[in-house]
Amino acid sequence: MNCPKLKNWLEERYDWEGMKRFAKRKLVPEHRYDLWYYTGGITLFLFILQFLTGMLLAFYYVPHIDFAHKSIIEIVTKQNLGWFFRSFHHWGSELCIAFLFIHLFGTLLLKSYRKPREFLWATGFILLGVSIFFGLSGYLLLWDERALAAVRVATGGAGNFPFIGGFIKAFLRGSIDVTGDTLTRFYAFHVAILPIITLLLVGLHLLLMQYHGMSVPLSLEKEKRREIPFFPNFFYKDLMVWLVVLGVLATLAVLLPPEIGAKADPLAPPPENVKPEWYFLFLLETLKLFPGAILGLNGETIAILMVSCAILFFFLIPFFDQRSARGEKSPLFTWIGVIYLLYFLTMTVVGYLS
Amino acid sequence: MRRIGVVKGLKRFSLFRFAQPMVMALFVMIQPAPSPAADRIAVFPTTPFDAYIIYESLAVLWLAIIGLIVIIRMKLREIERIQEMGIDKEDKDAPLLQ
Amino acid sequence: MKLKYSLITRRTFLNTLFGGWLFAFFAGTFSALMKFAFPTLGKEPDFVVLNRKDFTDLANNSVKRFPWGGVVGLYFKKADGSVLALKGVCTHMECNVAYKPEERRFYCACHNGWYDENGKNISGPPPKPLEVFTIMEEGEKLIIAKKGVKVELPKA
Repeated sequence: MNCPKLKNWLEERYDWEGMKRFAKRKLVPEHRYDLWYYTGGITLFLFILQFLTGMLLAFYYVPHIDFAHKSIIEIVTKQNLGWFFRSFHHWGSELCIAFLFIHLFGTLLLKSYRKPREFLWATGFILLGVSIFFGLSGYLLLWDERALAAVRVATGGAGNFPFIGGFIKAFLRGSIDVTGDTLTRFYAFHVAILPIITLLLVGLHLLLMQYHGMSVPLSLEKEKRREIPFFPNFFYKDLMVWLVVLGVLATLAVLLPPEIGAKADPLAPPPENVKPEWYFLFLLETLKLFPGAILGLNGETIAILMVSCAILFFFLIPFFDQRSARGEKSPLFTWIGVIYLLYFLTMTVVGYLS
Repeated sequence: MRRIGVVKGLKRFSLFRFAQPMVMALFVMIQPAPSPAADRIAVFPTTPFDAYIIYESLAVLWLAIIGLIVIIRMKLREIERIQEMGIDKEDKDAPLLQ
Repeated sequence: MKLKYSLITRRTFLNTLFGGWLFAFFAGTFSALMKFAFPTLGKEPDFVVLNRKDFTDLANNSVKRFPWGGVVGLYFKKADGSVLALKGVCTHMECNVAYKPEERRFYCACHNGWYDENGKNISGPPPKPLEVFTIMEEGEKLIIAKKGVKVELPKA
């Protein structure tokens, strides 16, 4: 847009040309694996859509056990396009977490976590935990049978941590069992606490990314390659991908709207074959592998400890993988990454089919 | 120019005018019989008229998205053409307008 | 007729096409969002149907409230026994008015507005008198309607 008056107005007050020059400096390399560069942006776009649809739904949702379920039914049946925004928010969360995992395993296998980008990995990992908690807290807000059972299992499982388990369980639940206090608490998490933490972490994650620039896989570092400017070339490519994602999401929302189960009854048994959301299935299947008691110690506790150790190791991979930090090929950690990925996929499929 | 001629030719057939209401009528006729599920909450508008409008809106959305992608691709091709010619940099010494 | 030079530059054409399409896209999205954000707002009723029995033994010089859509209506029995129905909403800034039996006037506490026994605004900021309704009695029912409205009761 050619508006010299507007440009002059800005230039007299701010260093507009300087900012433009700074933005034009950002370059994106082109190589065999550059498709992976889109995954982070797609996740960010889906997050933004979740924020928007979540804000809309919050106009009408009532976070009280007597009214939660009813308010969602009201949104879906009575509000203009209410069913659409709820369906969009549901599918948005599924796709967001799916692309988050794709982004996670992509950066793991391409070793984007190596020096100097360790903090990018760390902030991203915390964001993964935050997103999963977003999913869990949002899921409970429906207050139907499945949600109640799923949250009971999740918070009960967290309670099996040695020493701090009881504290975590009480903090999450707000009382002994999953009750109205849990609903209020999870609403506070979902609508206020987690969004602020997400904004801060995503801001930091993006800032670090601007600072370090795009990482290039080790095997291709030495090769000469073309670098295209982010503004406007890659930006427009990103935009095209985001538009397709928007279309796919709207299609899923229209063709496959999620059901609303019966209202939760804390005294009733859980429904048949109840399963948590798909991103928890691998954890559930892992816990099922452990027997009730091992060498006299509580099997659940051992299971939680081992899973926590595996997750902690995963978190600290950039600090363990010294070879890639030096810029050398690190096949051991490639295999570790592949094993983590295969385990995650297999356990998720097993959990889905059982 | 030839492409516009084809579309205009199609529109000459009078039946083309009735395309939209015919599709709507067909859509209403192929609705399934209501299932006797006891208390299923309607998570999707039930009347066939509303359902038709929604699917048509979805089609319009996809057309809009495809249109945008085509335009963005045209812009991108133009930008790459300019960059290859080397004329995309602004003149550094150009004075500001008073 | 073939033109020697193009009427607009390629850049202008592309940018206008892009901007226009984007504007249409966002306008559509925004209108969908607005449809959702604005709930189906209620309309003011043309008449309300009440039980006659609730209003028969009202003391003179007193007021009984009744619901008028989402706002308050006042069933007013004057000191001389005659009856008047008005909308109990101040015409200034829509606060609810109260009846002061000692002064035989309606009072709005928000900005010290006063209305007389017939709802006419006599003191303070209110610009118009209180809206007066017509009262009709049909058997067990007491119907309070807006002036000039033809009341058609739905067949129960």
